Amino acid sequence: MKATVIGALVVLVASAALALKGQPTVEDKWRLRAAEFEPKLKSREVFIDAGELLATMQEDAINLVVADVRSERDWNVFRLLEAEHVPLGRIDNQAPRFAKLGDSGVVVLVSNDEAAAVEAWKRLMVQGAPNAYILEGGVNRWLDIYGEPAAERQAAPGQGNDTLRHPFAVALGARHPASHPDAHHAAKREFEKKIKLLKKVTKTGGCG
Amino acid sequence: MAPLDIVAVAGTTGAIVVYLLIGFAFGFILESVGFGDSRKLAGQFYFKEMTVLKVMFTAIVTAAVLIFWSVALGLLDYDAVWVNPTYLPSGILGGIIMGVGFVIGGYCPGTSLVAASTLKLDAFFFVGGIIVGVFFFGESAGLFKDFFEGGNAGRFTLADWLGVDMGVAVFLVSLMAVVLFWGGDKITAMVQSHKG
Repeated sequence: MKATVIGALVVLVASAALALKGQPTVEDKWRLRAAEFEPKLKSREVFIDAGELLATMQEDAINLVVADVRSERDWNVFRLLEAEHVPLGRIDNQAPRFAKLGDSGVVVLVSNDEAAAVEAWKRLMVQGAPNAYILEGGVNRWLDIYGEPAAERQAAPGQGNDTLRHPFAVALGARHPASHPDAHHAAKREFEKKIKLLKKVTKTGGCG
Repeated sequence: MAPLDIVAVAGTTGAIVVYLLIGFAFGFILESVGFGDSRKLAGQFYFKEMTVLKVMFTAIVTAAVLIFWSVALGLLDYDAVWVNPTYLPSGILGGIIMGVGFVIGGYCPGTSLVAASTLKLDAFFFVGGIIVGVFFFGESAGLFKDFFEGGNAGRFTLADWLGVDMGVAVFLVSLMAVVLFWGGDKITAMVQSHKG
């Protein structure tokens, strides 16, 4: 009987202490696991070229999610046709969905330059979304390549203050020609292929 | 950081050995606490025997405290731990069917295998019934697929439902377990005195 009481007390004290300590926040998780993920950012192995994103958009076998983490204003001004709007403040809510995309799932995070997308990537990594990438240079670089180059000096990938450098007289959303460039642009552009699927998918279907 | 990919760490053969050891330990513990005896198990439903409640709740609380302390200390990535998705309507119906089967047959699926390992005849019939039931379920599941797969709430835990930190949820479950243990003993004593 005495052992039972002691056991019950131990469990109650341990769980009460746990309740007081609380579970780690996303920020805590990043601090704990930064050493695991930082090298991928430093080596830029998770930053994909605009050409690779465009080519991936044509791959039916890939379950692609292009998550635009910018503000609603920038989203309304210009966005990629296939993108969905997931502002940085809501990325945590979407992490469980991204984690369940399966072996053919790929998430590409898009911001104006890279800062917000990098922050979103960190949050996804520590919440179990395994296959996420960042659009190198963000929307600004995408527009430099597939739209009109901005008059303002072009920031190198990894730099820039994450604001939209390209001027738009009106908000065009996904109606801008650069929102859905011709797929042949991807074939013309040379890039280092970085997207790796968790499991190789087989292309099937088609006629003949 | 855990969870570990056992196959990557120990290889396929090593993983099989680990699975066997865990299975053996699980079966050994169940048999040791008397879960191979259908009278002991069914006694729970008549408030004559609270072993099932105590063993199961002790396991739940111990595992929850260890898991979430490991998470709090950064030793375990909870997001990488498989949590069964919640299907509430089919879960409730399945629970009722399982409960009825438990009280009639005296076993649940796991304990029937434990009892079969000690060659108990009723356990063999129970396991046979499970196999037949699994077969008919598999053959007919398509007829009630919408119900079976409906109401998928995904990874939905007590903490999500209550809107509290997981640590608070663990504390509440621990508190509930202690109260139930105490109350269970009182009820058992009452039933015994009525019989006496």
